[in-house]
Amino acid sequence: MLRELRERAEAAIAMARAAGADDVFASATRSRGVEVQVRDHEIEKLQESTGRGLAIRLYVDGRYATFRTSDLRAEPLGAFVRDAVSMTRALERDPFRVIPDPALYEGRTDASLDLVDEAVLALDTDTRIAWCREIAERCAHEQLISATATVKDTHSLVASASSNGFSGHHLRTSHWRGGSVTLREEGDARPAGAYRAGARHLEDIPSATEVGVRSLAEAVRRLGATQGPTRRTTMVVDRRASGRLVSLLLAPAKASAISQRRSFWAERVGEQVLSERLEIVDDPLIVRGLGSRYYDGEGIAARRLPIVAEGALQNLFVDTYYGRKIEREPTTGTTSNVVITPGARDLEAISADLDEAYLVTSWLGGNSDATTGDFSLGLRGHLITGGAVAGPVQEMNITGNLVELFAGLVEVGNDPWTYSSLRAPTLVFEGVQFSGA
Amino acid sequence: MSAPSVLAACGSAVQQIIAEPIAATTSSLSPFTDVFGVDEAMIRGALAELTSRGADQAELYFQSSRSTSILYQDGIISRATGSVDLGVGLRCVVGEQTGYAYTEELTSESMRRAARTAAAIAHGSGRAAPQEIRHAAFDHQRYSVEVPWRDVGVAQKLPIIQRAAALARAADPAIVKVDISWADAESRVLIADMHGRMTFDDRPMTRMFVTLTAERNGERQSNRANIAARQGIEFYSEANLRRVVQQAVDRTLVLFDARRPPAGEMPVVLAAGASGILLHEAVGHGMEADFNRKQISIYADMMGRQVAEPLVTIVDDGTLEHQRGALNVDDEGSPAERTVLVERGRLVSFMHDGISSRHYGVQATGSGRRQNFRHAPLPRMRCTYMEDGPHTRDEIIASVQNGILAETFTNGQVQIGAGDYTFYIKNGWLIEDGRLTAPIKDVNIIGTGPETLRRISMVADDGRLDTGGWTCGKRGQSVPVSIGMPTVLVRELTVGGEDTGGGRAS
Repeated sequence: MLRELRERAEAAIAMARAAGADDVFASATRSRGVEVQVRDHEIEKLQESTGRGLAIRLYVDGRYATFRTSDLRAEPLGAFVRDAVSMTRALERDPFRVIPDPALYEGRTDASLDLVDEAVLALDTDTRIAWCREIAERCAHEQLISATATVKDTHSLVASASSNGFSGHHLRTSHWRGGSVTLREEGDARPAGAYRAGARHLEDIPSATEVGVRSLAEAVRRLGATQGPTRRTTMVVDRRASGRLVSLLLAPAKASAISQRRSFWAERVGEQVLSERLEIVDDPLIVRGLGSRYYDGEGIAARRLPIVAEGALQNLFVDTYYGRKIEREPTTGTTSNVVITPGARDLEAISADLDEAYLVTSWLGGNSDATTGDFSLGLRGHLITGGAVAGPVQEMNITGNLVELFAGLVEVGNDPWTYSSLRAPTLVFEGVQFSGA
Repeated sequence: MSAPSVLAACGSAVQQIIAEPIAATTSSLSPFTDVFGVDEAMIRGALAELTSRGADQAELYFQSSRSTSILYQDGIISRATGSVDLGVGLRCVVGEQTGYAYTEELTSESMRRAARTAAAIAHGSGRAAPQEIRHAAFDHQRYSVEVPWRDVGVAQKLPIIQRAAALARAADPAIVKVDISWADAESRVLIADMHGRMTFDDRPMTRMFVTLTAERNGERQSNRANIAARQGIEFYSEANLRRVVQQAVDRTLVLFDARRPPAGEMPVVLAAGASGILLHEAVGHGMEADFNRKQISIYADMMGRQVAEPLVTIVDDGTLEHQRGALNVDDEGSPAERTVLVERGRLVSFMHDGISSRHYGVQATGSGRRQNFRHAPLPRMRCTYMEDGPHTRDEIIASVQNGILAETFTNGQVQIGAGDYTFYIKNGWLIEDGRLTAPIKDVNIIGTGPETLRRISMVADDGRLDTGGWTCGKRGQSVPVSIGMPTVLVRELTVGGEDTGGGRAS
């Protein structure tokens, strides 16, 4: 199968070159996915699919365009590639656009990242259904309205090649288990909670039983939610919610954003503007990591990249094109595993020291302005009073500026969430503006 | 719903009759089936396999789509992307259970294999396959275009993009960066169901984003605007280009003077147009029937109840010509209709697909939609708006002592069970003593759907649909939608502002 994909990518390069392209980067993909859902006692959904595709990036006479197709029949494919080259030729010449320097392809790791689990490939439907039933059974509760259990896995193969010497492939599996639970309480509101975990290998995921127990617990803790008071106070962010703040902080740390002057980092790279407690590394080489890779989307060999250290943004995400625009060497244009260096204590120990705070467990909507860093986010969570997590709150927002928020980061937990490519632990911020009742 | 067209009065769609007669012969299917390289025998074969273990609903959803996007940046047309997608999704429904599979290989063998996979959900005895496949034409065409996008070359698009860029660059000396992002797309779908009904729909779409960065006295601000419609290249009139550019310029430059409003609960006036985002999040999602048949929506037990003041009527409508949320038929092949959700304050209908309409014993409302052939359909919104009320915009603003006016939005979200929802205000105004006094920016609004509905106390007579395009996400599937609203007063909502006095630190 891999050989077939590699040949398809190379054939696409040959076709595009024959049609007049100067340089080409091609990727051929094949994927398989299975999803099983059980709601209450019935199978809700059985879905199985295989997908395929071809993507090409064309450099034609100083012009550039990208194309993808899932129609791989010989005749339409030939027409597709010819049309793609002629469309690219109709664009404008861009002096910054070149295929990546082949020197950047060098130095790829020899170590295995162990991204495929044969046990995922060997799963049968009955096993998946049995796991779903196990999750659903753990959600029994006297106030239960409905519980849905989902088991889902994927297997993907991508082979890439370029006209200037790149060749590589990625094979990956993933498996996900989750439950979502809705309960009845007084009035019309139906409190709901969900828990979901996934990894590249089956053995790295909590058991179906544990997923079920945690799913129910997430719903039960929402019973009796009220709106907390408007105040400026300490904010503890659960490890499943803290990743969103980190991704908002890093979204404009990109050469493209700097180049378009839509980044609050523009004049702050290397300056100490954040809390010294924050250290972030982009690490593509974590064994079995959900964001792990041997090379990035441009073919650049994957390397660890320090992002934040000593309170300053140390590196930007730089691709070849925008790197030339802002005169910086390419690093990588896209994140892999974003890892926040853990601290010493977990959520419970951290809460024990707080007299009054809000604990945020999930976000609801909200946004931030990448140019200024101004943000406002909806949230759900709990009050923390006298060192203990108390009743649930909802219908609240936090509002502020991302740089000021992360300057006020006072503690980093030791409990990173590993079922994500963004591995964030509990984070604690001081002086955060909450709005509520 | 994320990222925010044609200005149209709510409910003013003019229906056209197309010449296509209802056909019943095999030969007349070929104009449609040829798009996919399949024939009637292949379709019947796959349907027979799909229903071989029984089915309450089953269909093949063929889709051929193509899209082009073009980016103007730093003074040139700097890149383009093109995409072609082809495949068929096969669904077998038994009761409320769904078996689903898709394939991108449109051969008899591959389709039969996928049909067997989808049919595994069922355990009954087989149904007879349809004896013949009949083309069911609809008697209206809601998005006719002069030339289909597949026949419009890139050379015809570039001057339009360059014109928009020139307008933006000339608009104000403070503007330092201009990005114009263009997208055109078409999706041709053929839906063949187990009763032998075959529907074909050719759906165009286009959208242009104008994104600007401005600098003034060392300060930097950026913002964007977009227009979108199910139209062809004729959509990009000089007037429409000027409108979207002016919106982007105004929304960016006003940010230099904008601040955060105070934090906490206050009256919120929603400006006509894009404020329909409130209906989408606070009301619409909770009235999608899948959440209600599962009893997990906060609205599940409210059918027939008075949920708002009598001045509130809320509609979800697939029939508005050229709107982003318009449909001739939904993705199950049912005619898209105008569905009144809340009539004079009373909850009268959910939005239904086939599964929920059988569950409730009602007619489907043509709300079954999917992102593409890789997904099973779900009940979804189309164009959601509120009908006009008795007040005027001036009256509403004058009635507010201390509050805000919300004008432009970026995104929103809702929690179906608990009913809490949010939307993010990008631009707006502070209201003090009944007057607009200062621009505001970047505040999130949060509330609970049914409570917000009850708090709508004034509705103006200036309803309009938003000219920008919106995309709604649900269970991993994105579909285009439209929203609209007259100016409305919500007596009290929680505004994510910044406390300007009396804030306590801990």
